[in-house]
Amino acid sequence: MFDVNKIRADFPILTRKIHGHNLVYFDSGATSQKPEAVIEAMNRYYRETNANIHRGVYEMSVESTQLVDDTRRNVAKFVGGESEEIIFTKNTTESINLVAYSWGDENIRSGDAVVITKLEHHSNMIPWQELCRRKGAELRVVDVNENGELVENGEEKILDGKEILVKTGGWRNLLDSDVKMVAFTGQSNVLGTVTAVSEIVRMVKKLSPQSLILIDGAQMVPHMKTNVRSLDIDFLAFSGHKMCGPTGVGVLWGKREILNKMKPFLFGGDMIGEVNLSSATWAELPSKFEAGTPDIAGIIGLGEAIKYLWGIGMDEIRNHEKELTEYALEKMKQLEKENLIINYGPEKNRGGVLSFNVKGVHAHDTAQILNNFGIAVRSGQHCAAPLVINFGVSAMVRATFYLYNTREEIDYFIDKIREVPKVFA
Amino acid sequence: MSEYREIIIDHFKNPRNQGEIIDADKVIDETNSSCGDLIKIFVKLLNGKIMDIKWQGVGCAISTAGASMLSEKVVGMNKSDLESFGESGVVKMLGGEINAGRMKCATLAYRGLLKVFD
Repeated sequence: MFDVNKIRADFPILTRKIHGHNLVYFDSGATSQKPEAVIEAMNRYYRETNANIHRGVYEMSVESTQLVDDTRRNVAKFVGGESEEIIFTKNTTESINLVAYSWGDENIRSGDAVVITKLEHHSNMIPWQELCRRKGAELRVVDVNENGELVENGEEKILDGKEILVKTGGWRNLLDSDVKMVAFTGQSNVLGTVTAVSEIVRMVKKLSPQSLILIDGAQMVPHMKTNVRSLDIDFLAFSGHKMCGPTGVGVLWGKREILNKMKPFLFGGDMIGEVNLSSATWAELPSKFEAGTPDIAGIIGLGEAIKYLWGIGMDEIRNHEKELTEYALEKMKQLEKENLIINYGPEKNRGGVLSFNVKGVHAHDTAQILNNFGIAVRSGQHCAAPLVINFGVSAMVRATFYLYNTREEIDYFIDKIREVPKVFA
Repeated sequence: MSEYREIIIDHFKNPRNQGEIIDADKVIDETNSSCGDLIKIFVKLLNGKIMDIKWQGVGCAISTAGASMLSEKVVGMNKSDLESFGESGVVKMLGGEINAGRMKCATLAYRGLLKVFD
């Protein structure tokens, strides 16, 4: 039974006051809050276990190694992969860079194409832009419609960027035999658009069968059950800190046979097999991609976060967010009818994200005025400048929900949006 | 609403020195990458001093008021005057309370103006 009040009691920060008001935290899309169990697991590690992993034969090092291995197994189970296919990185951005450099530099040539979409966060855009520029490859960007949904058939356009050819259009305009990588988000961080991953994957397999597929799961894995095998993808990148874990740990899942063929990304300790003064061989997966001491406490925290999410249930979390979003969208539409705000984003297949502007008020001003009422929302371009500009504005306000948010918070938020224009009246 | 004092709302609603100078000696574009705000500043110079200033752009209340108020302060300033005015001068000018998250808004015009003397 999903009991939001019980869940809220697990998150110590939610009792905080901001400017004398109860905190209303609507920025989980940027980073989620952390339950006591996660904070406590990391504290316990530093107080009782702290020792470097691998090689150590003494008790604490063995325990540390065990805790990291346990987490790797649980992360693998969480997304439906194998333990050795889970690579710990710093965040989603690093996970995608790993693929763009390690796989991209070996496999993308002049004349090839990489397909991304207009929904992408800069983290799933710039690494590919730069790869294409390095290799003289073409960057193809799938358009969005006025609701922020990816278009299947669109108008093909060519933009001549700096040392890079960029083509835009619908999926069917852009997928062909030149495409070697299709990288797209499972859910837009700006508009909440949940992309039809399975359908798109089927289309890619048909029209660009030679291409690999990477999913940016930063906004997807924390909010819905994700299984890499049933999605039939090649890479999945996501961040621990958006799913109740600490900052500093990200994950790259990749298919074993592809990871095995890839060169290491970073070189140094722990990622080697045999070493002499002129060369080295590489360790097996996943160590090959994990040079240096990782964020051990962070990994342990992520492990605890996964256990916490399992305890609540991913389907229950998704349902709760769906209900909240439908409830909020209804109220936001009413504000739009009253000519107070403009809403952005899709009506259907939407995650817990509201994007809007108060009419005549800049997004930063709206966010700051809401902050004075204890409401934490984000404003700006949300690391997705081309998408925001696509809607004819320079910035948007964004409110994002997670398992601990409530209808009462939404009521309060709607009420306070009404206060915003009054400041400038 | 400590950030939205009357004077800021006044300059936001009635910005001073908005416009352009056709025969400007310097034209500077400055942007705030976190929100896409941009400002274009036109300046007439004489003996290294700002003689006239006009500006155009879109932005939030803080950046708009920052540009408007600054444009009333800088005529007659040379490079070192402007440098010693400083970002702290901008904060003081806006009433002394700008949180760290809004500093880029508050100093947008100021950062642009510094480039006049590059």
